[in-house]
Amino acid sequence: MTVVSALVASVALVGLVGQAVRSDRSVDAQFSARARHDASVDDAFYACIDTQARSLVRPGQTVALGGDNLADVVTMIKGFGSWITVADPASGADVTLTLHDGAAAPGTCLGTRVVGTSRGPGGRTTVRLGTGASVAGQGPPPAPPL
Amino acid sequence: MTTFLATTAAICALAAAGAIPVLATVGLRWHAVTLAPLAGAVIAALAATASLTFGGPLLSWFVGLAALGAAAVFGLWVVRPDLGPRRVERAAGRGALHRVVGIVGFLVVVGTCAWSLRGLRTPTVGFDARALWVMRPGWFLQSHAQLLIDMKVRGLVLGQSAYPPLVSASAAVAWKVTGVHTARLGVTTVAMLNACALATAALALIECGRGMAGRVVRSWVPMAAGVVGAVLLVVVAAGVTEPFLTNGYADPLWSLAAVGAVAFGLQLRDDPSARAATVVLVLVAGTTKDEGFVTAVAVAVLVAARAVGWTGLRGERTRWLAPVVVVAGELAVLAWWPLMMRVIGARGASSTFTATTDLAHRTDATVHGMSPYLHVLVLAVPLAVIGGLVLSRLRRRVGVGNDLWAWAALVVGLTAVSAVLVASKSPIGPWILTTVHRITEFPILQGWWIVGVWGVVAAAGLAGPDDTSPPASPVADLAVTEPLPAPAADAVGVAG
Repeated sequence: MTVVSALVASVALVGLVGQAVRSDRSVDAQFSARARHDASVDDAFYACIDTQARSLVRPGQTVALGGDNLADVVTMIKGFGSWITVADPASGADVTLTLHDGAAAPGTCLGTRVVGTSRGPGGRTTVRLGTGASVAGQGPPPAPPL
Repeated sequence: MTTFLATTAAICALAAAGAIPVLATVGLRWHAVTLAPLAGAVIAALAATASLTFGGPLLSWFVGLAALGAAAVFGLWVVRPDLGPRRVERAAGRGALHRVVGIVGFLVVVGTCAWSLRGLRTPTVGFDARALWVMRPGWFLQSHAQLLIDMKVRGLVLGQSAYPPLVSASAAVAWKVTGVHTARLGVTTVAMLNACALATAALALIECGRGMAGRVVRSWVPMAAGVVGAVLLVVVAAGVTEPFLTNGYADPLWSLAAVGAVAFGLQLRDDPSARAATVVLVLVAGTTKDEGFVTAVAVAVLVAARAVGWTGLRGERTRWLAPVVVVAGELAVLAWWPLMMRVIGARGASSTFTATTDLAHRTDATVHGMSPYLHVLVLAVPLAVIGGLVLSRLRRRVGVGNDLWAWAALVVGLTAVSAVLVASKSPIGPWILTTVHRITEFPILQGWWIVGVWGVVAAAGLAGPDDTSPPASPVADLAVTEPLPAPAADAVGVAG
């Protein structure tokens, strides 16, 4: 039994040490220069559209997320889904927010700008562009791991 | 307030809420330190569910439930002082070395966990984390009526918002307590909870080694093996779960909690303290994610089955009553959130299972998708077979649970997740591609924990069994008799 004990203990130790070495390398990869750059760009992008959305929505206003592009809706949820007051039904929203994706330009977040559409008294439609933040460059931001 | 300070404050708040119930049930053990924030996170999850069910602010429910738990515990201690946290449980094997190993083991495990969180130096917020886990806290802090709209309105697209609440509720508590409403704080809070679950599961291996004190001649051998194995398992687990350990995803938390639940509930000696730790970990796993829910239910049932044993099945009421009550309570708590999702008609709450899809193709895709991630089984299976054939008597003698329990948990967890993949309507290819490395974390980690426990048992074989000591309880293997009391030196600062 002692021989088997030694064998089992040795195999377990070697296996664990080997995997630990591999694991340590994969953790180190998390703070490579590339990973840090991607994370900071991703953070800057979502902070930017968050700021632009806040410039378009006053406290207490209800919001609908507009547009036909599912990816844009997900981007808006990621950017400011935590604090907006979602309207139900969407047709009753005070402000409809959409994303306009285009070429990199001043005042955009990697080429994306938040646009607010609201209907004023008398049914007059007002379209406003988000302001207050911008990120230079062309999007979308680097995709983080799924 | 910096993110570091805010995270510290958030974990302290969670730990403060969970400390008293953990102290009352687990006792003064080292793993009680890491279990306290996890118990606080469970209270946060219950607070979120209560807030959704009955209305009222999440923080009020959180404080109220924590106060209620603490009051119940203090009341119990007044009525039954013998159940207080300083209760001394006498058994063989206590001593200075036993206590030193406990202290050293705790410190090195915590230190290694801290080292394993160095990925936090990169401020990554994962895709799902930003879209769901650390976005939904904002919903929990809105009014009850608005929360219902957020969970139900179809325009918000995300079906995953019906996932169990623990991660988002903990982040919501962190936001509310600190006033810092950032995705980054959510990520760091979840990372700290991950580290607590990882440390708890690793400390189970140290308890495994320390539990052999008095059962082998040179007791320092399995105790040292337990410490070494625990440190290695922390490093291994960090590699298995990165980058999700530090980017706000929920998968590492439920996986690590489930592994800890198996370690305390099915691998260690069956005693009240281990059972209490198991309950906390089962609730963490089951209130974190759907996959964790399924696995937690399976683990809870297996733990109850082990505790009941053949004697209970033969009708001895005293044997089966307590485990059945505990598992019923666990299942009730776990079922509350998914039940509420159905009741309110939440987005994503309805199943999309079908029997008409190509099951053979889906099964094949699932098996082939998972296989590359399960290479640990190539090591764990033969090791378990050899250990089971040659070292099972030793394993029983030193008080470690039958390995088949851990394998049963692994197989059930893996089968449950695979069954969901196979039976669902969603396209299997993209689903496997984007999730398989996360949903296999539990079986991978469980495989490594099985290897670690066999390593400690084998080390006990090298130390030589102490034939003058009383044999360990057969409960570890067959669950047919009363368990031995836990060694007193397991209790921090109490024994001696």
